[in-house]
Amino acid sequence: MARKNKIVNPESHPMGDILRMDRMPHIWCSGCGLGTAMTAFVEGLKLAGADYNSTVVVSGIGCTARIAGYIKLDSYHTTHGRAIPFATGIKLANQDLKVVVFSGDGDLFAIGGNHLIHAARRNVDLTVICVNNFIYGMTGGQNAPTTPISAYSSTAPYGNCEEPFNLVGIAASAGASYVARWTALHTRRLSESVSTAFKRKGFSFIEVVSPCPTVYARKNRGGTGLDLLKEFAGRSVIDHTADPTKIPLDMDGKIVCGEFVNIEKPTFWDTVQAGLKKRFPNIYLEKKHMEE
Amino acid sequence: MQPYGNPKVKIKHKKLPGRVVVIADRCKGCDYCIDYCPRDVLVRSEGFNTKGYHPPKVANEDACTFCGLCERICPDFAIYLEHENTQRITIQEPRRKQNIEFFPSPLRGEFFMQGDIACAEGALAAGCRFFGAYPITPASEIAEHMSVVLPRLKGVFIQFEDEIASIAGILGASWAGRKSMTATSGPGISLMNENIGLGMMMEVPAVIVNVQRGSPSTGLPTSWGQSDMMQARWGSHGDYGSIALCPKSCQEMFDLTVMAFNYSEKYRLPVFIMSDGIVGHMTEKVVIPPVEKLKLVERKYTRKTADKYKPYEAGPDLVPEFAKAGDGYRYHTTGLTHDERGYPDMSEEAHQKLVNRLVNKIKAHADDIIILEEKDTEKADVIVISYGITSRLSAPAIAIAKKKGIKVGSLRLVTVWPFPEKRIRELSKRVSGFVVPEMNLGQIVLEVERCSGKNCTVAGIGHAGGGIIRTEDIVKAITEAAHGKKK
Ligand SMILES: Cc1ncc(C[n+]2csc(CCOP(=O)(O)OP(=O)(O)O)c2C)c(N)n1
Ligand code: SF4
Ligand code: SF4
Ligand code: SF4
Ligand SMILES: [Mg+2]
Repeated sequence: MARKNKIVNPESHPMGDILRMDRMPHIWCSGCGLGTAMTAFVEGLKLAGADYNSTVVVSGIGCTARIAGYIKLDSYHTTHGRAIPFATGIKLANQDLKVVVFSGDGDLFAIGGNHLIHAARRNVDLTVICVNNFIYGMTGGQNAPTTPISAYSSTAPYGNCEEPFNLVGIAASAGASYVARWTALHTRRLSESVSTAFKRKGFSFIEVVSPCPTVYARKNRGGTGLDLLKEFAGRSVIDHTADPTKIPLDMDGKIVCGEFVNIEKPTFWDTVQAGLKKRFPNIYLEKKHMEE
Repeated sequence: MQPYGNPKVKIKHKKLPGRVVVIADRCKGCDYCIDYCPRDVLVRSEGFNTKGYHPPKVANEDACTFCGLCERICPDFAIYLEHENTQRITIQEPRRKQNIEFFPSPLRGEFFMQGDIACAEGALAAGCRFFGAYPITPASEIAEHMSVVLPRLKGVFIQFEDEIASIAGILGASWAGRKSMTATSGPGISLMNENIGLGMMMEVPAVIVNVQRGSPSTGLPTSWGQSDMMQARWGSHGDYGSIALCPKSCQEMFDLTVMAFNYSEKYRLPVFIMSDGIVGHMTEKVVIPPVEKLKLVERKYTRKTADKYKPYEAGPDLVPEFAKAGDGYRYHTTGLTHDERGYPDMSEEAHQKLVNRLVNKIKAHADDIIILEEKDTEKADVIVISYGITSRLSAPAIAIAKKKGIKVGSLRLVTVWPFPEKRIRELSKRVSGFVVPEMNLGQIVLEVERCSGKNCTVAGIGHAGGGIIRTEDIVKAITEAAHGKKK
């Protein structure tokens, strides 16, 4: 019904210059945190002074991954789990581009987990934003590698008994240059974090804990999106000094948020260049390796 | 009320610098804004919007501090602050950058060169400047050679963590404007197939080299076969047109790789080089012409401005114009069925239109793509149809049959996909039989049977790979076909 909604002037929103307002309303459910996370992301890009013509967004498959369709940048909606290698290709092919991967917890840590740890290990210059809704939203609420112990999902009808991943811990251990966690509620801090991550050279990772009222909350009596946001508010603590490997998430414990890692170290491209330079001291590598 | 991440602003406003706007019909009634407004400015309205939700309304404008939290928290872009005298939309003119420079391959002249390396050199000569792969016999030499040469040509070499990453990576690199390639063998192609479909659907130019081994599964890693021929046509799910070229020599590993890049750029799709362990691993003479002498096809970049450009709008040639990442076009592309703007469109019409175009863009240009090498086919009673290394295995058999007085010709499929249906059908009306030796248990022979109908006999000579088809078996099949016997 709402598909061909003519009443809304697509350009009347302040984010009309960077969102595809002609595609609104989006597919996300009422009370889903994804729209809020996307607003924070877009504001973060603005804060960072991103050049929209050289900023690229790559996503995989899932509710979260649909973000690529709504953002008015070069935006690539790829296959399930493969956003990171696709983005790696773009970045390495053109160092002038700033490449952001925006995808879900299942996409980035289940089917795409291997790509994530390897890109972090190589310190490829990417900004990866992972929306963690503790579930496979798009396919109807199956177990994700983030589903907390004892939470219900459509494939864990008696309660999940698999230990979930601690996303920030993995990213940090694998070698990311920047690691942060926020909830959809921390819109402003999240925007600032996006901005920092975007400007940070190397592999940056941000986990955004976000409410999925339709599948996660329904199966776990979590209430509406608003109820979940309130729950997050009660459970969140900000501690930038926390060790990211020691702050896993569970059903009702603390959600430790903050910027846990923010370090300068050579990116994949830097090390490739340095290696070549060492081997061939006289070659052309002085400037940028790949001028256009 | 929870002013999260937003300290309460205590300033008193006499006059707001603008107003709070609710796009009522976009609201999904989540109440986020109402609850999180630190000043209780908003309330739920009584009425419904067109979607059946109660959108917020501004009830207490005087209390508003214009803090903007409602705009930030709304997941549906349904509420925002309109500042006075602000211009909302800034449309940036697309910034066209030069295409990536072309650096000539350092090699030219005559070489005694391995097939895999000739393939890598062919790619470099064609302008390939991105290579991503995962090691696998008998294709690893391509990666090794690329790792040596590409960085010196300002190209990018990356050994990915697996073949899935490799194909995804080269598709990404191609969107960024680089000619890109990956090389693998059967197990790697099986892993790549999903994203080969992505390349077909998004229409990304790239080259995929399959140095075939004995299959299925891990099969004969250090040996050879031709068992992935149908996989190159039907490997990924769904309908799409496919192009596959089959080199028979080290020279052709070079030549056909150049050609594969040309087709991929011209028709915007990943193109297969279907080599095999023999051709990949043997070493023979390869002549590399100077780059200036090569005919290279470059990508069809759009000249339209961003507001006029539709990424999937195709003209009569059915191939859309390209704009690479960073060109300022800021368009969307997806593996979902999409319309001409690249937006997902789940309608039957959009799907029919798109998939038909993906198939037809190859069908319509079949004559341009199909390369056949024919010898003595005009007056032949029997024609041996072969491809890749089997054509070299057939040559002695053909010579023996000729000595026996049989009028035998040969037809080599340099292009295997699209299949040369027209020519095979024509010939089938003139000959008494076709003989199709191949190093699998009967793949391309099925296509030959399909095109010949009942016009002539078709005899396949299958071999599972790991050895060679015996000359006497081919001679026997030719002799039987000449006498009009069915296999
Ligand atoms: C190869 C493959 N397997 C399975 C799927 C189906 N699938 C689509 S989205 C999805 C899960 C997405 O979960 P997540 O990344 O957490 O995203 P969310 O929807 O929760 O935002 C799955 C399994 C697919 N698209 N491709
Ligand atoms: S299913 Fe969950 S994650 Fe997906 S749009 Fe709905 S609320 Fe959001
Ligand atoms: S700007 Fe929005 S959130 Fe802030 S006080 Fe005004 S109505 Fe409330
Ligand atoms: S936050 Fe947005 S969608 Fe939710 S009630 Fe307010 S205006 Fe509606
Ligand atoms: Mg999820």
